[in-house]
Amino acid sequence: MKILIICNAGLVNGLSEEVLVDSLKEYGELSNILLPPGKSYCFVSFTTVENSKSCCDSCNGLLNIAQDNKPIYLCFIETLPNVVDEIVWDTLPPGLIILENFINDDEEKLLLELPNFRSLESGNMKNRQVKHYGFEFKYNINNVDKNDPLPDEIPNACDFLWPRLPDKFGNFIPDQCTVNQYLPGQGIPSHVDTHSAFEDPIMSLSLGSSVVMDFKNGNKHYCILLPGKSLLIMSGESRYLWTHGITPRKFDIVKKDDRCNLSVRGLRISYTFRRLRHGECMCDFINKCDSWSQKTEQFSLDDNEIALKLEEIHVHQVYENIADHFSDTRHKPWPNIVEFIESLEDGSILVDVGCGNGKYLGLNKSIFNVGCDRSSGLINVCKDRGFQCFTSDCLSITLRDGSADACICIAVIHHLANSERRLNAIKEIVRILRPGGRALIYVWAKDQFSNNEKSNYIKEDKRLDQVADADLTEVVPSVDGVQLPIHINRTQFKHKDLLVPWKLKRCSENKGTFLRYYHVYEKHELENDCGNIPSVKITSSYYDQGNWCVIIEKIKK
Amino acid sequence: MKLLTHNMLSSKCLKNVNVGYPLSIKVEEMITSVVDFNPEFIARIIPKLEWNALKQAVNEVGKDSCLPNNLIENFENDEDFLKKVHHVLLEIEIVNGCLVCPETGRSFPINNGIPNMLLNEDEV
Repeated sequence: MKILIICNAGLVNGLSEEVLVDSLKEYGELSNILLPPGKSYCFVSFTTVENSKSCCDSCNGLLNIAQDNKPIYLCFIETLPNVVDEIVWDTLPPGLIILENFINDDEEKLLLELPNFRSLESGNMKNRQVKHYGFEFKYNINNVDKNDPLPDEIPNACDFLWPRLPDKFGNFIPDQCTVNQYLPGQGIPSHVDTHSAFEDPIMSLSLGSSVVMDFKNGNKHYCILLPGKSLLIMSGESRYLWTHGITPRKFDIVKKDDRCNLSVRGLRISYTFRRLRHGECMCDFINKCDSWSQKTEQFSLDDNEIALKLEEIHVHQVYENIADHFSDTRHKPWPNIVEFIESLEDGSILVDVGCGNGKYLGLNKSIFNVGCDRSSGLINVCKDRGFQCFTSDCLSITLRDGSADACICIAVIHHLANSERRLNAIKEIVRILRPGGRALIYVWAKDQFSNNEKSNYIKEDKRLDQVADADLTEVVPSVDGVQLPIHINRTQFKHKDLLVPWKLKRCSENKGTFLRYYHVYEKHELENDCGNIPSVKITSSYYDQGNWCVIIEKIKK
Repeated sequence: MKLLTHNMLSSKCLKNVNVGYPLSIKVEEMITSVVDFNPEFIARIIPKLEWNALKQAVNEVGKDSCLPNNLIENFENDEDFLKKVHHVLLEIEIVNGCLVCPETGRSFPINNGIPNMLLNEDEV
């Protein structure tokens, strides 16, 4: 047994890695340290049992590095606890290359002196000083203005670097360079360089002190030491998908060959070389891609076969799988919909197209309510609740023409994967309405902040939320080559066609997460669709809790 | 499935079908239950019905005797007539059986009172 637990000191009560490593190094080489976030304990181990024992004997109750300079208390344990966000060393994200000693001492000295950070030209960031060549990188928009080059191009003094690049990057000629000066204690927040701003790869030359850079992707966290005079090349996945950043602190814990060492930071300057991108980014990492939203149009959701397949996998199958849980979360009728139903004349026939669990059926006892849905799971729930219902698709409602006095269609049409199908669904509702009959349609809005108010979807309390965030970064599902971005629940929509995760209660594994396809509507999009149908008059349109809504009337002939 | 629901159902969405109405009913299991009688409600529903389709349905489920052959005038004031219509529209329920398209013979199963009207992609 080599592992020691320090029972009364950890990150939450003020112990730092720096103090820990500094205080214990006299007992031998540390092989591991682990300070779990938010805990008042931590773990250390030495390369030999003897060292661990000597540390324990000398420090237990005697070494005053706990809170208020109190002594720490240690004991031996057999295994370390499992940690979810375990930091990984000695592994590089795909596409990342580090070339050590890329330049020599003289070249380093030359480049260290090149940017004059005392001059007024250089920008002073919160955490560091920066200077730009070629084009200014504008931090407020995370992009460059491609039409506004700086007078200073990348200094010719850098030219010697490019012939040294690996063959694979032989064509790389940067036209933008940002020089960052980091004092000890300064860092840079984790980020992915804007896809549409720069090409692949991005290169960064480190001068002066070494530093640890954190690369993160989902719950993967790789720590990578960037020594002075080394060149970092980020390409492919490491450029497009992984975030990189530097934690602001004055030291780094560096783990190499199972040894933990404290590395004190000094002045570090980095040259980041990039090439401006002209046109849209065409990468496969769409969840991090700002060019994606413009691109979705190019994909062939317009192809009916692809649209059908997408709906089958990401709508129909999902609702069958989540029917019971979905039904448990759908109780409270929305007031404006209730008002429409209550406004119907006694003896009216109301058809709820896509009725789900039937939460709007039976509210008005003076009318005849009938619901249809294509999910047999949800229709069974309706039937069990005593409602008249049948299984049917909203594009082929198996009712005779003009048989309904009124229709409601709530949160249904946005599951159809192309504009033709969405329009046909409205036409089908109009077909079953009698002349003079009215329909109320709700679809999800892209803008969840209309009227400067957050919709309930955005502000709903996380603790009450049945829908949890899925792991958003790993897999981007594809249907016949159509890849869609996965939405982060309870946030504003970034895309018009997307997948929204539904996580089953009490199901922690990923198999409990289902992705539903949605087309979220722009303002006026639903009205424009309705306006394209000749026999339709729009009597009212409004925004309600993150949805665009219309009431339409079938014109009497 | 109540006969009022049946009065609305059609197989018109099937490819090459012109009217698809009325669907004939094949009963395997049927129940009757008591539903509160609201004469005004029934009087308002009657003009929306396809009377001949209702007659055919009543015939097919073997409840012929429950409904007069013709829609009478002034039915609003004939409580006995309204009660009969009420009974066939709302109190008879087909639990199991099927509905059949009059033009193609395509059969739609009814299970647990739910007609399954989903069409295959090649049928529309």
